[in-house]
Amino acid sequence: MTRQDAVDQTGTSDTRTVSVRRMPGPSRVRRRVTAVVGVSGAVLLASACAKDAPQDTWQPAGENAQKIQDLQWPVFVIAGVVMLIVFAAVGYAVIRFKDRGQPIPEQTHGKPALEIALTILPALILIGVAIPTVGTLMALSKTSDTECYVNVTGQQWWWEVDYPTQEGCGGIDTPIVTSGQMVIPIGTNVLVRGTSRDVIHSWWIPRLNGKRDMVPGRVQTVRLEADQPGMYSGQCTEFCGLSHANMRMEVIALNAADFETWKANQLAPYEAPERDTLAATGEATFIAQCSRCHQVDGLLDADGNPVIAQPQDYVWSEAAPNLTNLMTRNTFAGAMFDLLTSVCMDRVWDASPEEFGAVYLEGVTLDCLNQVDLREWLRNAPEKKPMYTDPEELGPTDGKTRGMPYLALSEDQIDQVIAYLLERK
Amino acid sequence: MFTFGSKVLIGATVVATIAAIVYGLTQEGSLGTVGLISAALGLGLLAGVNLYARDSDVSSMDAAALTESAAARPTPGPSMWPIVAALGGTLVVIGLVSFPVVFIFGLIALLAATAEWMVQAWSERASGDVRFNADVRSRLAHPLEFPVLAAIGVGIIIYSFSRIMLFLSKTSGPAVFGVIGALILVVGFIVAFSDSLRAGAIATVSVVAALGLVTGGVAAALGGERELHPHETTGALAADGGCDTPDETEADEHASQTVAAKANLTAEITLNEDGTLLAHNLGVQGEIDEVVVTRANPTNIQFRNESTESRRLVLDLGTQPELDEEGNEIEGSEIPNQRCTQMTEDGGTQFLTFSIPVASSYAPTPYRFIVPGVDTAVLEVEVP
Repeated sequence: MTRQDAVDQTGTSDTRTVSVRRMPGPSRVRRRVTAVVGVSGAVLLASACAKDAPQDTWQPAGENAQKIQDLQWPVFVIAGVVMLIVFAAVGYAVIRFKDRGQPIPEQTHGKPALEIALTILPALILIGVAIPTVGTLMALSKTSDTECYVNVTGQQWWWEVDYPTQEGCGGIDTPIVTSGQMVIPIGTNVLVRGTSRDVIHSWWIPRLNGKRDMVPGRVQTVRLEADQPGMYSGQCTEFCGLSHANMRMEVIALNAADFETWKANQLAPYEAPERDTLAATGEATFIAQCSRCHQVDGLLDADGNPVIAQPQDYVWSEAAPNLTNLMTRNTFAGAMFDLLTSVCMDRVWDASPEEFGAVYLEGVTLDCLNQVDLREWLRNAPEKKPMYTDPEELGPTDGKTRGMPYLALSEDQIDQVIAYLLERK
Repeated sequence: MFTFGSKVLIGATVVATIAAIVYGLTQEGSLGTVGLISAALGLGLLAGVNLYARDSDVSSMDAAALTESAAARPTPGPSMWPIVAALGGTLVVIGLVSFPVVFIFGLIALLAATAEWMVQAWSERASGDVRFNADVRSRLAHPLEFPVLAAIGVGIIIYSFSRIMLFLSKTSGPAVFGVIGALILVVGFIVAFSDSLRAGAIATVSVVAALGLVTGGVAAALGGERELHPHETTGALAADGGCDTPDETEADEHASQTVAAKANLTAEITLNEDGTLLAHNLGVQGEIDEVVVTRANPTNIQFRNESTESRRLVLDLGTQPELDEEGNEIEGSEIPNQRCTQMTEDGGTQFLTFSIPVASSYAPTPYRFIVPGVDTAVLEVEVP
């Protein structure tokens, strides 16, 4: 509709008072679409320049990730060249032979030489890509040079990490159980033996290796090796339910000496809080409220008997994170929240490889404790992270939860538990 | 002239007027009179409207409309779909407050009737030719109707067969179906080699056979399944604390038919000829004398018997309270807490799935794999 048409339909000649809504013409629509596509493409392209990208596959930090990098670069180049050739050929055909009313050219059928060439050429390209791909896959599947074994078990929605007794990893004579963060020595071929307790999860630390599905009842292996001390993050990459996006993990790489320190710390005997302290009250509160599911190795009840968690009676997947050395980690709740304040956490992330071990091994101090998230978590965990804990919806799981339920802790009890947990390092 | 409808209304108006007069003169009270006068007025008004509109009878004003108007088109034939849809809707409502299966059947009936009804209604407006419309409907609906009806028919046959098979005893079943099979063969021969057999006879035999099958199926379903003997499993053996027997039990029958996984197992455990028990953990180089199992996790291992005698692998988890028949613990009574494979022939393999909820460091006795009858076959199990 033109402006004059609109004026005529309103029945008035006063054009200043007439509101005319013009429909955009084809050229305007085309310009808008071009602008949107252009801006989106530019944003997408610019995102590739992000420096703060801890899960960037293009920044390999170990031998295995480097092998993937060495493969994907030439493959991307080859694919890019093929794409350019195809696009150029299509573009040329579209522009050069655009319908301008010219007579239809002579129609021919079949050109054996060209067809054979266009069959052989892609086949050669694929063979060229396949040879290094197969070689890389075999190299990444190798287990004979393993120097350290670590078990990883996925569960809605956190990862358990355990170190069985072994001669590897510098020797471990008592199993170590932790969660959320896997600590490994640098320059060591670590073999992760992974599985799942409930549904299929996928373990992926992009800077250290490719992803591997963790399937219930099956054991999958993935090699890890980190060249330098640091923190390498990842997250579950197989949709596993409500809080899939909140199921994260980190690999902490330490030099050999720091790794030994970490190991010794994990295996150190339990130290009960001093009597008549807030932490001592917290220990009793922990036993009463938390130890049904969470294990703290070495914890004794009032009668001097070991407190053994029974998560199989309360949790559908039959396990809950071991909190023995919680404050040596710097995340909690499936690595969704930091145990450190943002300032202290940045200090860990920004530490140089030389300083990293010392900074990480400091663990969580009172000054650095992220009390906000931890308090909110203890106050009402299901509000912080989507989980299946509503008692009215637990029929299909025989009343067992998937995730930490609301415990109705009082503020005093929360203070006590935090004081107790702060000493778990 | 007056149309039929106008005549009826005028007559009714006159009757109502007369009735009002008679009622008013003979009966006490004015309500009946007022009502009848109101009826007379209403009917008179309708009669006037009808006279003006001439019964909406187009033919009385336009003779050509009899053949050319939309109303002149053939009327749609009778349809069962409204009834089926109503039945479906009713079942849906009843199903909501009774049984889910009623709701599901109702929903299926409602959806099917709605689809069929729509197709029929659409086809009846396709043209003025009834036969053409029917053909259009068939072309659209038959590709869906035939497979669905065939599937339903096959389903009924299979279900009837299954009910009859489950009803008959293990001995009478083969005899009955042998006779039925022979009967089908004979009838097939007669049909194949008889030149004078009428189509009606074949149809009759088929219908009688189908009805017999369905009737038999319904009767067998009502009669219930025969008593099936539960085959003892290794799980039952473990629950009774009987895993550590070196003898063959009922749970060991058909052991060689057990399917075993061959990839991504937690461990492969081998009983060697010299009586040693060694394991190979996935990813761990060489044979080891300790199996590492993740806590509270369904774990699969494969047992390979390389000895010269049939053996079973037993996972010994200590003891557990004995349960009575109602599943309650018998105080002070403990039985072995074990899981075990079936008896495995020499050279054979068996599969074992288990889950250990408590870390080995908290177990009163060490977890271990053993082989009953071979004292040297012991393998520690570590659960971090």
